[in-house]
Order: sequence, then structure tokens, then C-alpha cells
Amino acid sequence: MGGALVFWVGLLICGVCVGAMFTFKSRSDPTLWRTCTILSLTCCYLMWAITYLAQLHPIIVPKRDDLRIDL
Amino acid sequence: MSLVQLYIPSDVARYTVSQLGELGLVQFRDLNSEVSAFQRSFVNDVRRFDEIERKLRYLYSQIERNDVDIYEFLDDDFVGSSRGPRDIDDMEERISAHEDRVLKLTAAFKNLQLKHLELLENKYILEEVSSLFTEITGRQDAGPGEVGIDVDVGGLGRDINVGFIAGVISRDRISTLERVLWRSLRGNMFLNYVDIEDPISDPKHDEPVYKSAFIVFAHGASLRDRATKIAESLGATLYQVDSSAERRQEELIDTMSRLDDLQQILENNNVARVNELTSVSEQINTWFTVVRKEKAIYHTLNLFNYDANRNCLIAEGWCAANDISAIQSALHMATEDAGSNVPTVLQELRTTKEPPTFIRTNKFTDGFQNIVDAYGVPKAGEVNPGLFTCITFPFLFALMFGDLGHGFLMTLCAALLCIYERRLGWLAKNESLRMFYSGRYIILLMGIFSMFTGFLYNDIFSRAMGFFASGWAWPADQGGEGVTVEATKLGHVYPVGIDPAWHHASNSLLFTNSYKMKMSIVLGVIHMTLGICLQVPNALHFKKRINIIHVFVPQIIFLFSIFGYLVFTIILKWSTDWYARDASGELTHISPPSLLNMLIYMFLSPGGVSDSEKMFRGQGVLQTFLLLVALACVPWMLLVKPLILRREHQKIISEGYGRISSHVRVSSEGEGLGGAVVVAEQEEMQEDDFDFADIMINQTIHTIEFCLNSISNTASYLRLWALSLAHAQLSEVLWTMTFLPTLKMSGSLQPVAIMCGFGVWFVLTFSILIGMEGLSAFLHALRLHWVEFNNKFYDGTGVKFEPFSFKTVLDEAEE
Repeated sequence: MGGALVFWVGLLICGVCVGAMFTFKSRSDPTLWRTCTILSLTCCYLMWAITYLAQLHPIIVPKRDDLRIDL
Repeated sequence: MSLVQLYIPSDVARYTVSQLGELGLVQFRDLNSEVSAFQRSFVNDVRRFDEIERKLRYLYSQIERNDVDIYEFLDDDFVGSSRGPRDIDDMEERISAHEDRVLKLTAAFKNLQLKHLELLENKYILEEVSSLFTEITGRQDAGPGEVGIDVDVGGLGRDINVGFIAGVISRDRISTLERVLWRSLRGNMFLNYVDIEDPISDPKHDEPVYKSAFIVFAHGASLRDRATKIAESLGATLYQVDSSAERRQEELIDTMSRLDDLQQILENNNVARVNELTSVSEQINTWFTVVRKEKAIYHTLNLFNYDANRNCLIAEGWCAANDISAIQSALHMATEDAGSNVPTVLQELRTTKEPPTFIRTNKFTDGFQNIVDAYGVPKAGEVNPGLFTCITFPFLFALMFGDLGHGFLMTLCAALLCIYERRLGWLAKNESLRMFYSGRYIILLMGIFSMFTGFLYNDIFSRAMGFFASGWAWPADQGGEGVTVEATKLGHVYPVGIDPAWHHASNSLLFTNSYKMKMSIVLGVIHMTLGICLQVPNALHFKKRINIIHVFVPQIIFLFSIFGYLVFTIILKWSTDWYARDASGELTHISPPSLLNMLIYMFLSPGGVSDSEKMFRGQGVLQTFLLLVALACVPWMLLVKPLILRREHQKIISEGYGRISSHVRVSSEGEGLGGAVVVAEQEEMQEDDFDFADIMINQTIHTIEFCLNSISNTASYLRLWALSLAHAQLSEVLWTMTFLPTLKMSGSLQPVAIMCGFGVWFVLTFSILIGMEGLSAFLHALRLHWVEFNNKFYDGTGVKFEPFSFKTVLDEAEE
């Protein structure tokens, strides 16, 4: 799994969003439901993707100076 | 929204407005705006109900003063819309009768109370005077028996003309009285007094007063007169007291019996009053409601055009186009209520007036719409940012508030509010809690998104969670005091969220700062792009194609050529493996470049990218190109739109179509009422004065604002990083300062310490981290929406649709 995961998940989210465009027909306010679904999916995906990408090729390495030697 | 006109026969008018008020779907226009409030047709009716309301308020205050319970009872039949003028007259009569009786009873009660007071004071005086006599004579000649003394004093008074006056005065005045008397009578007096132990209720004062009985001996009638005047001016009440003990005894008995009688009468009066008020209290809620409704009806009728010749009223109002059928049926019902067979006619008007904006909200969207409305009400047909705010607001909030634990607590509180919203309805009436109650769905979404961002930030009460295998491994054989150990990268990336290895790493801030900063920029640019793109539906709706081509397009190009490029390089930098080595073990890339420097040098030295900073081939050329495009967009935004507008205007002028008049009266033949000519005023026609200088100035301001804002707004999104950093650090500090030390303690007291530590930590977590930090993050999310998002596309110059509805009238009256 590398950077391509971001792409595939993005594609999946796009698919779900497109699907959401055609659901909620029976609800009283379909536009609201669709917009909310699509926006929250997009927001969450963006944040996950950014977090994932930021750690994909780290430039710095975590350091600790409070470790004890395992005896 | 459509503008409708109603022809209402005047005998149906009251019923019609009443039905429409129950329905609450029409906002009436004032057709008599040039007529002052006193000259309108139904001003007498309004006054009449004002008067009834005053009476009701009087009765209400009497009910409260006498501690009579008020029934929360509403006579639904009467409050409902079908009451006729007869019912109203009956009601008015009954209210007047009640008020009359209560007024009389209250006046009688006051009189009786005064009498009661007099008798009571007289009684006390008679009781106390004998002891006063005793003291005086006791001092004059030492030690004789009581009976003899009284007679003696009486005889003494007659002989040497020493008389006395007796009275009652409030206790704090007694020393003043003594001093004044002493001075004005030059010491030729003797005053003695006794405090009456029980407080006396005086109708002049609200609370019972402590009083004293006094007696003044003075020599000569003139001195006694003066003493009388002084005492009365100080508020004392004087009573005739006989000097002989037997007579006093008789008088006392007499007074006592009269007092008893009076007490009886007072009690009867009280019972009668309470009975009267109780019978009022059963109805008062109903009456208040009805009177307020009736008053609102006549206020509304005052807005209508009264046609005395045809005996009908003409009303105009706004309503939602798909509510017209509901209104029609209400009109039909009103006609039936009135028992009339002349129907009300409803007609839709074509208009160029700016309609008010009607936004249907439900309990979920209401809070978010309030956030938007506080900035500005959308024009009819304008994109309503409230739709997007529903999700982006809680999300941006959560970016600053990211912590799974805090988010969970917040969700819990909001969920309780939402689940028990009926039972907690009273919260809406409380001034300070209303904010939380009406925003419960906002808080709920904020909490849920905070849980999500907290999960990605890998923070639960500042602790890390290890749901997945870490992408880093700590070496087991290194470490010790002061030795820095580096983790080694494993083959995989932590799939969801930040790797827990970064928690407690000494350089974790270095990583999270860079990550959160870049995330703020990326999300900010996307958020602003959404804002700019929303201009398109606006332009399409208002049929201003010019706004798409010459405003939207250059703006989006400008933003993308600078900040879109920045986002591109951020992602490029993330997805490049800067330490990759080729087959021969050589580094394939240069050391990672600084994006900040890149952006700065993109402006300072266009075209030149130093080799140590170069990310890809052709970077210099691309940057120069983007810079030129951005620069080219500035005159495009600035000049093209005003010039096109001017050319179109000149074309119209040259073809001979000038402006005729800005005030046109459009007459149309009405059909319903025998060809009545109805005048629909079309004032305030769109002003189409063309002033090139104005447009040019506006455009200049707009362009400069956009260019500068695109930079400052992008930077403004960095608050997402700053606030989230502050939140994470604060919760970390709280944990290490309050709870953690108790966990590391040893000894038998540790359990107690842990409990205390947990208590302190939890209370502080709730009040500071969730309460205060939550408010501050809320504020910043609000700013990001109002300033950074809304100003990209949102005018917010509309007027809110406020339909005439009894519900709002009654709610206002209650406040």
C-alpha cells in the first residue's frame, strides 16, 4: 500500500458521492441530505488523505530521549 | 415567493385575518404607509383591545399580589379562530365586570384596613397608657399604690392644668419627636413611651411597622396644641384617652369588640376578593390570548386598503408559491366561519419588487441558518450558505478541537439535549442556556466531527491510541539517560491518522506543526474555491453571464495560479520519497526543499529556481507562467466588466431606448369584483441609472479586495493549525500537571490522591478544554465562515420573510 491508496479511496468516495446524488428521494428535504452526505464524506476523506500523505515519505524521524534500555 | 392580492369583503375580514394568523404563511405589506398610525381605519378597535388588555393586566397583578394560582388552561374553542364579535363583546363585558368588582373590593379593603389600624392603635394606647401613668407618678412621689395614683394624676392634671396627649408613632421617630418637643416647648413637657411589641400592618407601607405608644404631659392648653401639631407633623396618630382607669377599661372593651367585628368584615372582604380573582384566574390565560390575537388582527387590518364604496378590504402580501393552496382553503374556512356567501378572492400579481426571502428550516438546520442570518439574510434566489455551513462549520470547528475524548463528551451532552429536547424545552426560555439549547444540533455535529478529527490526530484526552500497527519501531537496545534514540521506519504507513510513535517523541511538534499547517492551507484553499464557485449558480439565477466570464473565471484563475500551485507543491512534496536511492545507492533527489522559500522567491525572482530547491523540471518556467497569468487576471477583473457594461449601455442609448420614469403606476382590470380597477403600486422600480464612475470605483475596490484577501484569507486559515496546536498542548499540560503525578505516587494515600487528581482533571477538562476552548474554536470557525467563505460569493442583502402569525405575536407578548 503506497500513495495509490489515497487515489483508490478517493475514487470510492467519489462513487459513493455520485450514489448519494440519487438517494434520499423519499426524505422531506433531499437537497439538504445529499449536500450534507457529500460534504461530510469529502471533508473526512480530505483529512484522512492529507494525514496519510503527510506520513507517506517522512522527512523527519521520531526521536525520544526518555527510553530505557530493555533489560 | 409570490405577491398575492386579496379582496376581502369587510364582514369576513376579521375571520380571514384570524385564519391566516393561525396559518402563519403570509407576510402582509403595509398599503397605508403614508397614513399615520392614528388615522387608520381600525384604530378604535386597536384602542378597545388595548383597554381590555390594560384591565387584564390589572387583574393579573391583583391575582399575583393575592397569591391566587393561575390555571394554565386555554379554552381551545374560544382561542381558536371561529369566535364571533358577539363572543368578544361578552368577553369584554365579563372582564369589565370583574375589574369593576375587584376595584370596588380593593378600595373597600383599603378603607377597612385604615379603620382597623386606627382601632388597633387605639387598643394599644389604651393598654399601654396605664403603665405610662404608673411610671410617671411613681417617680413623682415614691411608692404609692397603683389605683390611687391614677386618680391622683387625674386630679393633679385638673388642679394645676397639666394635661396630656397620647398617640402612636413609628418606633424610629420617637427620639426625633422627643427632641423636637423638648426644644419647642423649652423643656416644659414630659414624654414617656412604650414600644408596642407586635408589628402593626399599615396599609401605607408594604411591610408591617414597629410602633411605639407615647404620652406627652404638658402644662396649659396652648402648649398641648403645639405638641399636638408637632406630633402630627411627624406622622404620629393621636387618640383621645381618658385619664380615669375605669373609663379606659370600658373603652378598651368597646374597642376590642369593634376590632373583632372589623376583623370579621376584613376577612369576608378578603374571601370575596380571592373568590373573584379565582374565577378570573381560570379564564385569564384564555382572555389574554384572545385579546392579543384580536389586537394583532386589527393591527393587520390597518395595513389593508379599505375601500368604503365597495365595502371591501384589499390586502397585499408575500407568500411561498406552494403555500397558496393552503391559503385558499384558509380563506374558504374564514368565509364559512363568518357565515357569509361572498368569497374572498385571491389573485397572484406580477411584480418587480424584491421579495422577502423565505427559508424553510427544520430543527436541525435552524441553528445553522441563524449563524448565516446573523451575517446577512440571503436575497431570494441567492445561494444560501446555510446549506454548506451545516457540515463545513462543524468540520472546521473540529479541526481546531480535535480530541476523541473531548469530542465524545461534547457529543454526549448534545445528544442528551437532542433526545430530551421536548422535556428540556424550558431551557429555551432561560437567557443564558438558550444558546446551548437552540444550538444543540450544531454542538452535536461539532462533537461528532471532533471525535473523527481526534481519531485522526490520535488524541484521546491527549493520550495516544494504538488501533493499528505503528509504522515506526523503537530499537530495544538503545536508550538510557540523555541518549536520543531514533525510531526506524517500517514498511507500512499508519493507515488512519497520525502514527502513535509521534506521541512523546521529542520532535513531535516539528512533525505535527508542519502537518497541521499544510493541512490548514490545503483545506482553506479548497474551502475558498467552493466559495468562489458558488458565484456561478448566483450568476445563472440572476442572469448575469458577465459575472461568470469576467468575475468568476479570473478570480478562480488568480487563486489557482498562486495558491492552487502551493497546494500542488505541498502534495508533490508529500508524495515524493526524498531519501530514495537508486540501484547504485545514490540519492535520486535533492534534499527536501522549503515550500515557503519557494513561494517567496516565486515573486521575488520570477523564473529563477536554485538547484537545491528544485522540485521538478520546468519549475522555473511554470512559476513564471503562473505569475504572469495571475498578473494578467488583475486588469481582467478590474476593467473588462465595467467596459462591457458601458458598451451595452451606449448601445441602448444609441438605439433610442432611454429611461422613461422610475415611478410607473401599473393599472390592471380586476375580474372578481365587477371590473373593479385595482391599482398595484409599482414603486421603487429598479433604478437603472448608469454611472460609469460608480461602477468603476466599485470594481476597483472589489478587485483590490479580492487580490489582497486571497493572500490574507489563506493565511487566515492557519488559525486552524494554531488553535488545534493550542488545544492539544493545553490538554497535554493538564494531564501531566494534574492527573499524571497522582498515578506515579506511591504509598497508602495513592487511591485518595488519584480520586482527587481525577476530579480536578475532569472538572478542568470540562470547563476549560471543552467549555472555553470550545467557545474559542466556535468563534474562529464562525469567522472563517463569515469572512473567508461568505465574502467570496454572498451578498446577504435580502429581507427575511416574517409571516403574520399568532404564534410569534403571542411569543413576543410573553417576553
